[in-house]
Amino acid sequence: MVYPLKALNANRLKTALICFSLIFSITSIFLISAISNGVILMYSSILKSDGDLIITQAKISDTFFSNVNTNLLPLIDEIQGVSKTSAVIVGATPVENLPIVAVYGVSSNRFANYTLVEGAYPNPKEVLVGKSIYELLQNKNEIQIANQTFSVSGVFESGIGFENGGVVLNLEDASLIFNKSASMIMVNTKVDHNMETIKTNIAKLSADIEVKSTKSFVENYNQFKIIKTSSNAVSFIAFCMGLLGIVSIMSITINQRKSEFGIKRAIGIPMRKIIFQIINESFILGVFSFISALALSCVILYFIKNSSSLQGYVNGEISVSLAFYIFLTSMTMAILGSIIPALNASKTDPVILIQGNKI
Amino acid sequence: MIRANNITHIYNQDKALNNINLEIRKGEFVAITGESGSGKSTLLSILSTLLKPTSGELLFEGQNYKEIQNIDMFRQHNIGFIFQFHYLINYLNIKENIKIANENASDEEIDKLLSLLHIEKLGSRFSNEISGGQRQRVAIARALVNNPKVIFADEPTGNLDSNNSQNVFDIFKQLQKSGTTIVVATHDKKLAHQADTIYEVNDGQL
Repeated sequence: MVYPLKALNANRLKTALICFSLIFSITSIFLISAISNGVILMYSSILKSDGDLIITQAKISDTFFSNVNTNLLPLIDEIQGVSKTSAVIVGATPVENLPIVAVYGVSSNRFANYTLVEGAYPNPKEVLVGKSIYELLQNKNEIQIANQTFSVSGVFESGIGFENGGVVLNLEDASLIFNKSASMIMVNTKVDHNMETIKTNIAKLSADIEVKSTKSFVENYNQFKIIKTSSNAVSFIAFCMGLLGIVSIMSITINQRKSEFGIKRAIGIPMRKIIFQIINESFILGVFSFISALALSCVILYFIKNSSSLQGYVNGEISVSLAFYIFLTSMTMAILGSIIPALNASKTDPVILIQGNKI
Repeated sequence: MIRANNITHIYNQDKALNNINLEIRKGEFVAITGESGSGKSTLLSILSTLLKPTSGELLFEGQNYKEIQNIDMFRQHNIGFIFQFHYLINYLNIKENIKIANENASDEEIDKLLSLLHIEKLGSRFSNEISGGQRQRVAIARALVNNPKVIFADEPTGNLDSNNSQNVFDIFKQLQKSGTTIVVATHDKKLAHQADTIYEVNDGQL
């Protein structure tokens, strides 16, 4: 491990260039993946905390356009195995200078989901404001939603950026603003009852509704699929660009060190040892760059999360599995990028390497 | 010990070597001479397995080079090579430059080599901190650390003054006495005459 470190130290400029190249490509993969994962995680957290089953309008691709009749609530309550039902309207509105603020109209039995920081839960014509939005409001006593004025009843805090950057009001008030009964109905079930039977019984109540388990809803939600697919595509492109960058830089570096490899081979050092040293050098660079990129990504995500202009809506999440996946890919990038020209060098006569002909 | 049969090497469509036949006996001191560009370095590279010939047969102690499975290992165990420009690795100190050719060599063995070549005080220095003559001695120590059967040296005195050049040849003669075969490519005919056998290369032919 001493020789690779000395070799890296001897080529400080190239080492720094490779590190920067690796750090930027790994950071870009981290940010793209973390932000898209964060969006999915935030929305699915809202849904998962709300129930076991989700009812939306049938054949509607997005919950924003869904309209479910809340008259179904007492009927669903009567179905065996149902422990709780609640309704939500999801909407968005401009507030003061903010172009878009999430609005959650909820049935009163759902207020307890929001942790109060100050004040009280909203009465009719009142709103509960998320902490992120509250800090940005110029008038902290009342806000205008559509053509109506609402008093601020209190402030809540949530770990979910979409909620923290939104406002909560009574379902009835939201219904008047968005001209719909409910975007979706959440159903909690009793542990000892068959979920499929409950789903079937709810579905029988109306042909206009679609009943899904929360897990199935999250997995099949079209918006998530689009975000995930585009995130994977952009991550893949970032990965390929990073890989090409590393391959070209490592290729140039190894080309410049070809006489060193030639000398080593001439004095009898087996090529496997030379390649092993290159792998060690790449591993050191990869680990250093990964740690640096992880730290840089955390710093950038912190600033994104706390940026007032983004209202907390962009909240990247770096999970252990994501970090592990990126660690593996970055190691592959670093090692693959260096081993290909090293293998080419191993097939070349030492004298040709020493004389400096192209590998 | 080494036998070259009909060795031809074509480089960029030019015949660098044309139908070379020679034999080097064990413990022999051989000088290959010739003008610059005559092909002597190419011949030395081929004899020392650093370059594959375009055609011809090369035998080392009766074994064809083409049949050797791991040429790097073969070189490590049998051949020491000294370059005109010494080619020391700049990020390693002198002792490390020698040890890299044989990681199993003990510190005592390396100290003994440094002492033999009168550079025992340079062990911890780097190549840019010592003179040209000293660098060439380090390169010789590096070639010797594996106790090779043959030492090949390509213009080892090319960058040295006459005193240092003679010193290097004295070391070669000393090594020859201990049974090592020495093959040197040089354009210095005065030095070449100190060898047992001289091959002169002219336009790729002996």
